[in-house]
Amino acid sequence: MNEPVAGVALAVVIVGLALSTFATRTSFLLAGRRFRLNHRIEVALRYAPVCTLSAIVAPAVLHSGTEFDFSPANPRLIGVLGAALWLCWSRNIVGCLASGMAAYSVARLVLG
Amino acid sequence: MGVDGQHRQLVSGASERRTAFRAGQRAILQSLPGTAAWGLICGVAMVKGGLATPWAIAMSLLVYAASAQLAALPLIIAGAPLWLIIATGFVTNLRFVIYSAALRPYFAAEPVGKRALAGFFMTDFTFTLFMRSAQEGSLPARHRDAWFAGVCATNWVTWQACSIVGIVASAYVPTQWGLEFTGTLALVALIGPALNVRPAVVGALVSAVVALLAHSLPYRLGLFVAAIAGIVAATLADSRTPAPPREAEAAQ
Repeated sequence: MNEPVAGVALAVVIVGLALSTFATRTSFLLAGRRFRLNHRIEVALRYAPVCTLSAIVAPAVLHSGTEFDFSPANPRLIGVLGAALWLCWSRNIVGCLASGMAAYSVARLVLG
Repeated sequence: MGVDGQHRQLVSGASERRTAFRAGQRAILQSLPGTAAWGLICGVAMVKGGLATPWAIAMSLLVYAASAQLAALPLIIAGAPLWLIIATGFVTNLRFVIYSAALRPYFAAEPVGKRALAGFFMTDFTFTLFMRSAQEGSLPARHRDAWFAGVCATNWVTWQACSIVGIVASAYVPTQWGLEFTGTLALVALIGPALNVRPAVVGALVSAVVALLAHSLPYRLGLFVAAIAGIVAATLADSRTPAPPREAEAAQ
């Protein structure tokens, strides 16, 4: 195994990552009143949370890291179904995590 | 108004701000277990991925963006060129540009320092909570900045505490339980309640499909492309006359 990366090079990488993250997060906020998107686009951005989160979750559930797994025996898919079932009658996030993890763990034990 | 009156007004303004701050803390409370578990796992992953403890802590505190940290980590360990690492982090974070544009009208009247802070502390969770509360009308009428500060401070402290515990105690955190899946489930818990209108369902489906199709794009570009596609689809599916927050209404 290689030595863990350290030293000035790593410090530069971390500061660079921090600055690039800060730049994306503050982009339009820092522009404030000087630069704004078309009003219709700003209205459309009300759908930004649900769309972005779906785009994060779909591959995280259906891709194992090496390949796609669309099978109904995919434990992550079963876990998400467990969480979704809970969400049908409650918004409580703790319950959603618990039921999702329970379904996921049972699926891994039984199918794995 | 006499000096006493002015003083009383200042005091009551400060106490209103404290109330708004606490309301923000209560609003984020529910999502903290997911944040805590995911922070712990992210901390463990950074050390197991090859970062030494102090560097992992520095990265967690300065970058505060789990997906960018985890995307950059293998490149750092492999000794990839600086520009490639930064570019990967940047593209992974492109969704924050969209979030920033969505938050802009609500914070446009605030001083530049507050806008910078709001940006630094904005995450998937704090942003989603803000937008949901704005649409449901549950944001306080005044002192929204204090409310968001309460949300962000609580989320930040929880994340950093758990991430640092994960970094320091990485050898003792069991990885075979699949705890990292709680991060995905916490996002599912944010998506679920948002699917109460048809355009949101259309947007979510289109985003998910495009994200799968575009999964092989480099530097996680697929995420950004999918988000844009979903937002466009949701807007096309939305036949209602938009009732947006005009700047004058959004600003206090």
